[in-house]
Order: sequence, then structure tokens, then C-alpha cells
Amino acid sequence: MRMPIVAALLMALSSAFLVYGLSYDTRQMEARVNDRERLAEKLRNDIAVLKAERAHLARPERIEPLARAQGLKPSTEKQLARDVAGTGIITGSNPNR
Amino acid sequence: MGAFLRQRAHEIRPAVRANPSRRGQDGRTLRRRALMIVLGAALAFVLVSARLVELSLKGVHAPLLSQVEAPPSNYARPDIVDRNGRLLATDVAVPSLYADPALVLDRDEAAEKLAAVLPGLDQEELRRDLAGKSRRFVWVRRGLAPRLAQAAHDLGLPGFGFRNELRRAYPLEPLAAEVIGSVDTDNRGRAGLERYVDSAIGIDGVHGATLSGRVPVRLSLDTGVTHSLRDELATALRRFGARAAAGLVMDVDTGEVVATASIEREPQPTRAHKEAIDRVAGGTYELGSLFKIVTVAMALDGGKRGIGSILDVTKPLVAGRYTIEDPHPAGRPLTLSEVFTLSSNVGAGLLALEAGPERQKEFLDRLGLLMPMITEAGAVAEPLVPGQFGRAEQITVAYGHGLAVAPIQFAAAAASIINGGERVLPTYLSSIGQPQPVRGRTLSAAASSRMRELMRLNVTEGTGKRAGVPGYDVGGKTGTAEMADKGGYAEKRVIASFLAAFPMKSPRYLVLVSLFEPHGTPETDGDVTAGTNAAPTAGRIIARIAPQLGVFPDTGKVAELGLGE
Repeated sequence: MRMPIVAALLMALSSAFLVYGLSYDTRQMEARVNDRERLAEKLRNDIAVLKAERAHLARPERIEPLARAQGLKPSTEKQLARDVAGTGIITGSNPNR
Repeated sequence: MGAFLRQRAHEIRPAVRANPSRRGQDGRTLRRRALMIVLGAALAFVLVSARLVELSLKGVHAPLLSQVEAPPSNYARPDIVDRNGRLLATDVAVPSLYADPALVLDRDEAAEKLAAVLPGLDQEELRRDLAGKSRRFVWVRRGLAPRLAQAAHDLGLPGFGFRNELRRAYPLEPLAAEVIGSVDTDNRGRAGLERYVDSAIGIDGVHGATLSGRVPVRLSLDTGVTHSLRDELATALRRFGARAAAGLVMDVDTGEVVATASIEREPQPTRAHKEAIDRVAGGTYELGSLFKIVTVAMALDGGKRGIGSILDVTKPLVAGRYTIEDPHPAGRPLTLSEVFTLSSNVGAGLLALEAGPERQKEFLDRLGLLMPMITEAGAVAEPLVPGQFGRAEQITVAYGHGLAVAPIQFAAAAASIINGGERVLPTYLSSIGQPQPVRGRTLSAAASSRMRELMRLNVTEGTGKRAGVPGYDVGGKTGTAEMADKGGYAEKRVIASFLAAFPMKSPRYLVLVSLFEPHGTPETDGDVTAGTNAAPTAGRIIARIAPQLGVFPDTGKVAELGLGE
């Protein structure tokens, strides 16, 4: 009778420690996940701002005078070339056209 | 506890030894008690696990309190991108300034200091808002620029705080602004395509600034082509002293609007993004001789007329108190193709009378010119249709007066005439990867083919000569419409339009240009007709956008015209 009771007591004790440890780890993990999530959201927002800024800086209205100052001109039909498959370079490289 | 058990065992044992006859009975009682305890514990465990299983299967019912969810403070919207994936509209997180009136110490000081930092802040209103001590939350200014937010923060006022919110940004504004539309302070679509996004694609209510995870909405617009169109229209506006200019580039097969632009000479200082004037879809105009495309197509589609058949245009047409004459009478009977290329009003009127009012109405209706039209950007301005098709209306509609339509609606009709007779519905959404819907026919393929020849002929030797672009096989039609004025038509105030398509052998794109109230210049010999201003503008636009759109020139023709320079 003695051994099983002692063993059960030990097990109860160790599992209590185990459960406490697990819940402690979980809380820690939750805090870390929250931090990460907040960081991810902040980074996503930063990316959105950068994307918007990039698009704003690359707006044709702004690029055109800069390009013309460099001596560049709008592309003409003479710059179009067909590749072997018979599709154009623009058409071929850009699936959206 | 262990010690206690040991002590008990110790107490029992001597008793057992003292009375050996009761030994077996005592052992049995003890075992029975232990068994009962074990069974009781087991039962409790079974009950607990049963409850656990039940909960995990059914889910926990949230307490009543949290069932009422707070309304979302703003909405996350999907991005809008052009056909090549370039960003046109996106959400960004920006700080918004709020106040807790109960914590504000000196509201006069706060209002004064904030008004000094935030331009356009209504001091009186803020003071009133802060006076209501029962409220715990008041918006001061939503969507602050980071610099202003820092400045407001630096004031160090108690009771004020920031909360991040989503705000719509349009990095390419004013490009295509009139189509994309606008949103309200909660980031809900209010006009244009933004409104369509709300209803057709969906937005997500969020607290704070969580970006939308939805797939971007891909439009049919091409940023580069739209810019080129705007730029050339702005040049034309200056060159010909017009009051406004509008233009449209459309795929003739799918109806996708590749570019649209509407610019005014006088800047509209008070008009914000949301109220940008859109002359392409937001206004109806009499487009003049452009309508001869429709009238001649109607005659060819009926099969009664070929392009060589003769019409006697020498006598003016009389309808009631009106007399319709050609501005530059030919003085001889004309063939159908000459009626088109010389743009004879009398000829167009004769064709309409020949077809009869029923047929004319039915044909206009089939092209979608009489019914209100709706695109994803909202309702197109409704066409102004004459109440009845009497003799006078028949003749005037034949050459583009008396029936006012939005340019985009006319472009759709013309696209259908050009593309072989397939009905076209304008769309601002990319149709890449979408199956082509069956749309029905508007006219015979043979008539459409004749129309393409006529439009090409009009550019090689008719009124549209200046729209020609070497190698691109441009075809088109001019239209100079006198603007309705007090008590009649003003001769010098016109809308000069040109509708072009290229390459005419198998058309891919349609270009429509309208110049509002252009002036005569030395370049045009003082003329205001479309052939001298709208046609060359259309030509310049095509020369610029065709390479961008990847349309190949007819190389044989380039050599023939000596474009090698």
C-alpha cells in the first residue's frame, strides 16, 4: 500500500510542477507572439507606406521631365522587336498585356 | 500525511495480531473502503473528462457581455492596381488625434495651441466638443500627417492622445482620379470604383490599423498610357486654347478602358479629389459628325446600300422650319463613302430618312445609345434622347445633334461597329484570365468590315488626314459639334472630336479625343473644326501609346512611307 501512494504523491507533485512550468512557458510564448505580431503589423504598415511612397515617387508626371532632361524620349515603334516566337518583347515579357 | 497513515497502520496491526480470527474480515473491509474511494475518484475523473469532451465539441459559450461587439472604428480596403500591377490606391496607417474631455485641464489653452499647430482646425467647434464633460472620447482630427502629429504631440497637452487608423492614399493622383473615386473618413467607398470595391469585393471592419489581406483589385487602366493621354491632351489644350479636353483609350474587343482623362483649363481650386470633373463618363454632349459612323453603319448593315451607291446631296433638306445644308456643299451627288469622308450632313440625313424612324431607333438602341449605361465606376451620365423621332429629329440625330451621350457610351457603340459587330460594354476592370462573356451582335461582320475601310479612307484622303501615323494604319472620323447656346447654336463655340482606331486591318484599340471650345490658331488657319485640332491630337496620342501597348507597326508601310529618316 505504501509504495503506490508515495509514487502517486510524487507524480502529483511533479505533474503540478510540470503544469505550472507549461503554463508559464505558454504565457511567455503568448507575450512573444504578441510582440512578434505587433512587430509584423508595424512592418506591414511600414511596407504599405513605402510602397505608396515608391509609387508616388515613380509617378509618370514626375519621371517624365526627369527623363526628358536626360535626353530620353517616349518609345517609338522603331524600338519594338519581335522575338523568335513572334510575340513582341513588351507583350512577351509582361503577361498582363 | 504519510506519517499519519503509518501511525494508523501501526495501531491496526497489534489488534489484528491480538485477534487472529477477525483478521480476514478486517482486511476485506479495508479493501472494500479503498475500492470505494478509487471508484469515487474514477467516477469524478470520468465526469470531468466527459465535461471536457462536451466543451471541446460544442465550444464554450461566450459570456453575454462580450457578445455585443463594438462597431469597427474603420475599414481595411484592398489595394487598387493598374493592369500591370502598379499601385493606384492603398491603405496606410496614420495617427488620428482624439481627446478625453474629462482629462483636459484648460480647454481654451488646448484649443488655441492646437489651432496654431493644425491648419484649418475650427477652434470654436473644438472648444464646444471639449466642454461636454460627459463624453470620454472626441475626435479632434483624423488622419494627420506624421509631421503634424509630432507637432501636436510636442505640445504635451493632457487629455489628448493618438490612435492609428487606416487612411486611403492615392500615390498617382490626379491620374484617373475621376474613375477611382473616393472614400469617407471611416475608409468606406463613397464614389467611383472605391464604391464598387465595397459592394462587389468587400471591405473588412477593423479596430486600429490592420491592413486588408485581400487580393488587390486589378483595373484595366494602364498608368503609362493614361499619363501619355493626359500629357497630350494638356498639350492640345494649350495649343488650341480649348476650355477643356477629354480622352479615352478602349480595347475594341473587350471594352476595357485602358486610359481615360478629363482636364480643364481653369484649375478647380475648391474641388477636391472626390469631385473631379469627368467629361468622359460624367457629362453628355452632342458629338456631331462622329454619329455619321452610326448612320452609315446602319445603312450598310441594312444591305440596301453599298459604299459605292449614289446619294443626291445637292438640295438642302427641309424639315419643318429647319433647313439642313452642308457647310461646304459638294455641288454634285456623292457616293456613300464620300458622304462619310466629306462628312455630308445632307447625306447622313438622307440615309436616316431612308431607313425610317423605327429602324433608326432600333439600331441606336442595339448599339446601346438610348439606354442609361452603368460601369463599375458608377452610372454614366444618361443620354438625352429626343422624345420622338420625327423628320427633323431623324435628320439631326443622323449627323450628331439632338442626341447627347457621354463620350464613353459613344465609344462603346463605335467599338462594336469597328470590332466586327460584337457588342461592347465598357469596363474598368482587367479581364485578363476572365472568360469572354457572350454579348450578342449589333451589326453584320460585312458591314463592320466596310466601316473599317471607310474610316481608314477618311484618314488617308478625308477630313481626318492629320490623324495619320506612319505604320499604324489609323482610321477615324471627325466631329465638330456646335454647342447649344441661348436660343440656338453658336457657330464658334464647338466641341471638336475625333474617334480613331488602330491598326485598321484588325483593330485593337480605339482612341476618342474631344476638345471643348477650341480657338482658331495660325496653325489651324483660324479654323476650329475637328480635322485641324482633334485629329492631329489623336494622331499624336496614337504615335505615343501604340508602342507602349505593344502594337506592332506594319513594317512594309513604314518603308513605303520612308519613315527610316
